[in-house]
Amino acid sequence: MKTQLEQLIVMINQIVDNNSYGNTPEQTADATAVHLKKFWARSMKHQIIEYLEQDGSELQPAAKLAVQQLAG
Amino acid sequence: MIEIFDPKKQNLELYASPDKDYGTPPSQSENMISLIIDGTEITVPEGTSVMRAAALADINIPKLCASDNLDAYGSCRLCAVQIEGRRGLPASCTTPAENGMKVSTQNDKLAKLRRNIMELYISDHPLDCLTCPANGDCELQDMAGAVGLREVRYGFDGNNHLDAEKDTSNPYFTFDASKCIACSRCVRACGEVQGTFALTMDSRGFNSTISAGQKENFLGSECVSCGACVQACPTATLIENKVIDKGQPEHSVVTTCAYCGVGCSFKAEMKGEEVIRMVPYKGGDANMGHSCVKGRFAFGYATHKDRITEPMIRDSIDQPWQKVSWEEAIQFAADKLKATQEKYGRESVGGITSSRCTNEETYLVQKLIRAGFGNNNTDTCARVCHSPTGYGLKVTMGEAAGTQTFESVLKSDAVLVIGANPTDAHPVFGSLLRKRLRQGAKLIVVDPREIDLLSTPHLKEAIHLQLRPGTNVAVVNALAHVVVTEGLEDQDFIAKRCDDNDYQRWRAFIQQPENSPEAMADITGVAAEDMRRAARQFAEAGNGSIFYGLGVTEHSQGSTMVMGIANLAMATGNIGREGVGVNPLRGQNNVQGSCDMGSFPHDLPGYQHVADDDARARFETEWGVSLDNEPGLRIPNMFDAALAGQFKGMYVQGEDIAQSDPNTQHVYAALRALDILVVQDIFLNETAKFAHVLLPGSTFLEKDGTFTNAERRINRVRKVMTPLGGKQDWEVTMMLSNALGYPMDYKHPSEIMDEIARLTPTFTGVSYEKLEEMGSIQWPCNDQFPEGSPTMHVEDFPIGLGKFAVTQYVETSEKSTSRFPLLLTTGRILSQYNVGAQTRRTDNQYWHDEDVLEVHPSDAELRGISDGDWLGITSRAGETVMRAVISERMQPGVVYTTFHHPGSGANVITTDSSDWATNCPEYKVTAVQVEKVTQPSEWQQSFKRFETEQLEFLEQGRQQEEKVRVR
Ligand code: SF4
Ligand code: SF4
Ligand code: SF4
Ligand code: FES
Repeated sequence: MKTQLEQLIVMINQIVDNNSYGNTPEQTADATAVHLKKFWARSMKHQIIEYLEQDGSELQPAAKLAVQQLAG
Repeated sequence: MIEIFDPKKQNLELYASPDKDYGTPPSQSENMISLIIDGTEITVPEGTSVMRAAALADINIPKLCASDNLDAYGSCRLCAVQIEGRRGLPASCTTPAENGMKVSTQNDKLAKLRRNIMELYISDHPLDCLTCPANGDCELQDMAGAVGLREVRYGFDGNNHLDAEKDTSNPYFTFDASKCIACSRCVRACGEVQGTFALTMDSRGFNSTISAGQKENFLGSECVSCGACVQACPTATLIENKVIDKGQPEHSVVTTCAYCGVGCSFKAEMKGEEVIRMVPYKGGDANMGHSCVKGRFAFGYATHKDRITEPMIRDSIDQPWQKVSWEEAIQFAADKLKATQEKYGRESVGGITSSRCTNEETYLVQKLIRAGFGNNNTDTCARVCHSPTGYGLKVTMGEAAGTQTFESVLKSDAVLVIGANPTDAHPVFGSLLRKRLRQGAKLIVVDPREIDLLSTPHLKEAIHLQLRPGTNVAVVNALAHVVVTEGLEDQDFIAKRCDDNDYQRWRAFIQQPENSPEAMADITGVAAEDMRRAARQFAEAGNGSIFYGLGVTEHSQGSTMVMGIANLAMATGNIGREGVGVNPLRGQNNVQGSCDMGSFPHDLPGYQHVADDDARARFETEWGVSLDNEPGLRIPNMFDAALAGQFKGMYVQGEDIAQSDPNTQHVYAALRALDILVVQDIFLNETAKFAHVLLPGSTFLEKDGTFTNAERRINRVRKVMTPLGGKQDWEVTMMLSNALGYPMDYKHPSEIMDEIARLTPTFTGVSYEKLEEMGSIQWPCNDQFPEGSPTMHVEDFPIGLGKFAVTQYVETSEKSTSRFPLLLTTGRILSQYNVGAQTRRTDNQYWHDEDVLEVHPSDAELRGISDGDWLGITSRAGETVMRAVISERMQPGVVYTTFHHPGSGANVITTDSSDWATNCPEYKVTAVQVEKVTQPSEWQQSFKRFETEQLEFLEQGRQQEEKVRVR
């Protein structure tokens, strides 16, 4: 069974994969950040931001950028 | 004399009532003709039969073999009339009315002929009218009266079938051949209306006999128990068992089926508060008088002994239940929910609205959560079925709903069915589609399984793209690739209706060689040539429509696939008129409605995002509270948060998340982690076994409200019996809200609908008065579309221009490996309904009393499996055991099961893989291994123990006297 955080990491990487065609990592990050803002609950956003601040190693580059956008 | 304008004189057809049988179907012609029948001038559309024209003017010609849902047949001759200038006495049912015709329906010659005919019929018919179950509802009896039959000269000893044996094999109706008059209405109903062709008549005339299949009994034949033949039969030959047992109903109420998303209208025919039979209502625009076995017959669960009728509470799930008053149960729930929020924070509780309940009830639950709990942690079971539809259609076409009426399929030239099994899951639509296929429309099926639609009797042309589970997007991209590269696009439509930037971007993407059928063949397992043929057929057909189901949405790329479907429809110009469109076939009766009503955590009612300040402000004003502008948790997120200890309380109305959600062991653990679980349901469902408060729910027969079907059609649900628990579901939510300190005060669901109309731009024109007037309304219904919108996107899209979306194929992480070499996919069957809580409590059990695993012969051989063996099925998530059925409906490497019985544990093996955009679980693809075993899995054994214990707790609660608890 995955923990809540593991699940969030899988989800965000999946969103990136599905939005990356023909995009630069920045564009993918924009699309991903918009998606997270629209559909993720506050607590989920906090957790992924916290994860990026502490570790973030399992996030794809575009996912990292997206989470940075969320944080900023 | 002053000529007074009488609109009836222009076209009598406009005044036809759904409550009368006019003998033959209406004509669709726009040319009017006038004739004179018995001295009355009658104007009707060209092509109307003399019989129908007369009946429209209330001149009722005797008839036996005619019925207005069947083509005229002309066998009984009872309907003979005299036409000026014509020889003989033609049958009025088969004679088209003509301009200037003069018809007499009554004279001595006709009377004598009719009496003679009736005499013949009666000489071969038992004379037990007084004790016959059809007494009071028999057309033969009526006709004997109408023609004035007084004597029968032929005697009863000739060749007859008076001693024919009864066929009682079907649990719901009886076939008593001794009463058959060989009118063939049943045979024609089975063919023309239902499309099954299960019945045959061995010759024409008085001595012919009816039989199911090749002289089998009904249960053993092809019959799917839709009941169309029973309804068509003018005598007691085919009759509902309940009518035999209880006698004729005395009043009826029009209401809406609570099973699937077709949303059939029924007349609930009643004796006092008891439903005697459900008769599909001709005036219902979704079903036009047809139904399936579930809606017509499987209503007995409403009065089943397992119904929860008293509120109960307990402190923890290892305790017996305790019966308490409504007030006490509600107070107990409210106190615990409040305490939880105080301890763990505002966001630590949430709720689930039901796609089985009415719009009004769903609206109230999400309102309670947003306004009462003060967060947006609301979700609904659409999460696990059609959430990708909402996402994908909103992004591409601006509205989260299907674009057509069901009837529109009768104008389709090619029908593309993807990941749907309409003859089982949406049977009445399935029958309509089969009708169109018999008329020659081309069929393209995209499905890993050989579905029954492909064996439609009299099917003309069909292509089956039997893809590997999980490769939908690859297929739809390949189809679009062919459309674009072979110049089959509808350039006018695209230029006029779609955003050019998005289109150019998409076009560049889809043309890439990696999207060609040839390149995709390895991934999809579908031959490139078949794919090309299918694409051409769809694009060149004229009217191409797409119907899809959960085989599209329940994938890791569910949302992408929905967008891919929208792309294909837009590229071929198949949007905005009848016969085309994108049509999600919704699972449950009110999935569309529960989504419309704001059940999703990010959407207020009418798909208005919670972060939209203007929309939120309107809700805040109406509701008198401030609302959170951040989305809440979705169902799977709630489970994850519960396991992490952050989410502690839930209010679940009419929804069985413990059975229907994937990865059962994960769900069970999450439910066990809750401090307070309030379940409102009609039965002790799987979820309720983890609850602390059990509130009796009410069935659709016990409440007023509305359901919205897959066509966006809002239908009325009307109460026909008192709720067994004393309250309708909306009343219970109201009590809970009041106890939580957020006041709600509605006297009737119509007031809730008025509030919805005030707040939802697509509903501003909807009200109960308007529903009474129109029968049903398809939203949007507002100033722009005052009569509703049968077809959407006719002029433009709600977002202006349609948006093509780039839909890259991304392989699912759920792939077969050496450890899990097979792919499991899931589906459902006709007689059972979803988690089966209702249908398992009816005689529908006759058809399906356990879930089985279908295995391809070659996979079976490899593992030494034969039919009926016990199989252990293992996935990354868990293990369960089911019986094997060897079947060639899937390709090698794919196994298939249904999920109607909780003990079979189909969801123990489904994993947490889900759609990237909506978290809709990937039920349709799970990598598994299968092997022979000798005993139930460990999970099944512990399930059995837990179930036994919980049933015991319920029984203890039921036995006990209600007592006031000392807290
Ligand atoms: S119940 Fe339906 S399927 Fe069965 S014989 Fe009658 S019409 Fe045909
Ligand atoms: S069973 Fe009923 S409908 Fe069928 S032929 Fe006999 S009388 Fe007519
Ligand atoms: S098709 Fe669906 S709505 Fe119609 S009767 Fe059957 S289950 Fe009910
Ligand atoms: S009703 Fe016309 S021939 Fe039977």
